Amino acid sequence: MMSNDSSKQNTFLIDLTKCTGCRGCMVACKQWNQLEAEDTHFFGGEGYQNPAAMSEHTFTLIKFRDSEKNGKHSFSFYKEMCMHCDDPACVSVCPVHAFHKTPEGPVIYDSKRCIGCRFCMVGCPFNIPTYEWSKGLPLVKKCDGCYSRIKEGLKPACVTACPTAMEYGPRDEMIQLAEERLKKYPDRYVNQIYGKDEAGGTSVLYLSSEPYEELGFQMVTDRRLPSYTWPALRLVPSIFVTVGAGLSALAWFNHRKDRIAEEKLDAVATENPAKSEEDKS
Amino acid sequence: MSATQTILKEVKSYHWFVQFMIVLVLVGAAAAIYRFAFGLGATTNLSDTYPWGLWVAFDVVTAVPLAAGSFTLGAIVYCFNIKKLEPLIRPAIVTGFLGYSLVCVGLLVDLGQPHKGWHVLFFWNLHSPMFEVAMCVFAYTTVLFLEFLEPVGEKFGWKFSLKALRKIHMPLVIAAAAISTLHQSSLGTFFLIAVEKLHALWYNPLLPLLFWMSAISCGMCIIILEATACHKWMGQPNEGVLLRTLAKILPWTIGAYIIVRVLSLIFLTDNVLFDDPTTTKLFAAEMGGFLVAFFMFCTNAVRNNDSLRALAATILVFALILYRFNVSIFGMMDWNNIYYPSTIETLVTVGILAAHVLFFVLIARYFPIFVHGHEEEKTVTENSTEPAFSHN
Ligand code: SF4
Ligand code: SF4
Ligand code: SF4
Repeated sequence: MMSNDSSKQNTFLIDLTKCTGCRGCMVACKQWNQLEAEDTHFFGGEGYQNPAAMSEHTFTLIKFRDSEKNGKHSFSFYKEMCMHCDDPACVSVCPVHAFHKTPEGPVIYDSKRCIGCRFCMVGCPFNIPTYEWSKGLPLVKKCDGCYSRIKEGLKPACVTACPTAMEYGPRDEMIQLAEERLKKYPDRYVNQIYGKDEAGGTSVLYLSSEPYEELGFQMVTDRRLPSYTWPALRLVPSIFVTVGAGLSALAWFNHRKDRIAEEKLDAVATENPAKSEEDKS
Repeated sequence: MSATQTILKEVKSYHWFVQFMIVLVLVGAAAAIYRFAFGLGATTNLSDTYPWGLWVAFDVVTAVPLAAGSFTLGAIVYCFNIKKLEPLIRPAIVTGFLGYSLVCVGLLVDLGQPHKGWHVLFFWNLHSPMFEVAMCVFAYTTVLFLEFLEPVGEKFGWKFSLKALRKIHMPLVIAAAAISTLHQSSLGTFFLIAVEKLHALWYNPLLPLLFWMSAISCGMCIIILEATACHKWMGQPNEGVLLRTLAKILPWTIGAYIIVRVLSLIFLTDNVLFDDPTTTKLFAAEMGGFLVAFFMFCTNAVRNNDSLRALAATILVFALILYRFNVSIFGMMDWNNIYYPSTIETLVTVGILAAHVLFFVLIARYFPIFVHGHEEEKTVTENSTEPAFSHN
């Protein structure tokens, strides 16, 4: 849909090689968004992470992965959050336009509109939106890129809290910075900026020393997601007209014999206004 | 006697099967109330991993093609002018109207914010397949309601409205077909967004076309089953001759579907098809169903035999149900963390199914939906109405 110029939009650059796993971002996010604590269990997830997955109470999660590197045990971390796609699936599939991509970058949610169909959850290629399963009339929850802070000229809470790994700024600058790092330390990184092309480009970019797939990143298409559904939906008006007109023509043609027979009948004797009226319509 | 007593007495006179349906509907309604009282999380097995479950898969994605008989038959009878099938129309309209009303009920139970359902009519998003389907279901339920008014008007003798209804009859039939084409196919568009989520056996760009084509065959099979059941259990005349005509059309529609399905698998799929035994089996069962039904309907002996014809129709309907479940649940399942419906989810869906059967029987009992005489050779004339069920 809106193929807006994303190069000046606010973008996160998350350098996972610099992440220490302190989870300051998770705490800051909880505080800023006033999210409830969760009842967690150690070893509850795929690794040492805690809680096991994002939820209505957790908009960002540091995922832990351990691996063997040169015979040594090593940890890697992955900060999961909404990717704030340039052309988001959640925006396109929502029947009531509850989501929208702001010109500043964040993809935000209007709970007053949401009807709770959960299509956004099915559509999101990164499986980000979560649902208030604990409530009778639940709403969708996800990271809003701290939109209210950005409006006030602040940086997102998690970025402010992060001591080492996160940069925040216009997308083109962030890409430039990432490319410089890749060039400068080719042996430190996997040669890919995750988010540069994923889902047609996102406002969250990652650098990593481990292959992204192994860290638990979703392997998503480089095409904008709405470009998969729009070719079908675009045809809706023409299909409506074609089927309508086609069937009308067919009906008219196939009723021709009846009409001729009827006209003869009319000419002979009795009139049947009700019937001829019906045929006209 | 008070009204309650009258109703109770009436209910007591029903067949035990009808009474059983009433029980199922009441249990389903209770389950739905329970869901609203305790929330989706506590009463269903839905989760952030499986935001859609049985209610979307069956009550919406499957129930809509199951109710496709009405628009298909309308187009066949009035646009292709195969008038002799007309006696089948009214029951099909009732089924369609019930089907779509219950789709709306199913949707409301599933929505997290059902009280805001009307928002769809105000905040249009033309890029959303869900918007498309919601608008169509709304429009089509209205069309079906208008068509359904005909027997109601006849029953209560509303001369004026009947005349008006007959006048808009053809436009309604054409609108029904056009709207149905749109939303039957848009249900397939739903899953086009699930690019890396839906298994390659089901994900392909022709999903909307395939949904529409399979819905047409399914609609006709439902009509065959319904007419056979009405003959067997509701004392209606045997419409075998008419159903034979339908059965002759079916090999064409099923055949066309199978061809497009196979071609799209061969030419329009990028990912590996047969990488997992479970999905392969599900696919084989689904495709097998369509093929068996196809070859059965190709055979004269099957088309001319009431029970074999009904069997073929049943096989096709089950193949279609499996197809819809494959797309909306199984094809996206993580087999290490399986979703299965909770008791509440199951009870609500069973209640909705039972409501369909129950309301059909009750409407047939009190309204003239089996009207036209059964002389297939002669032109159809409106003869006096026989009540579907005699009261004593
Ligand atoms: S990551 Fe998902 S929720 Fe976030 S903007 Fe993209 S599609 Fe929407
Ligand atoms: S759950 Fe709400 S926000 Fe998500 S697609 Fe449905 S209406 Fe839109
Ligand atoms: S941007 Fe704001 S809402 Fe999103 S993860 Fe960071 S702190 Fe949480």
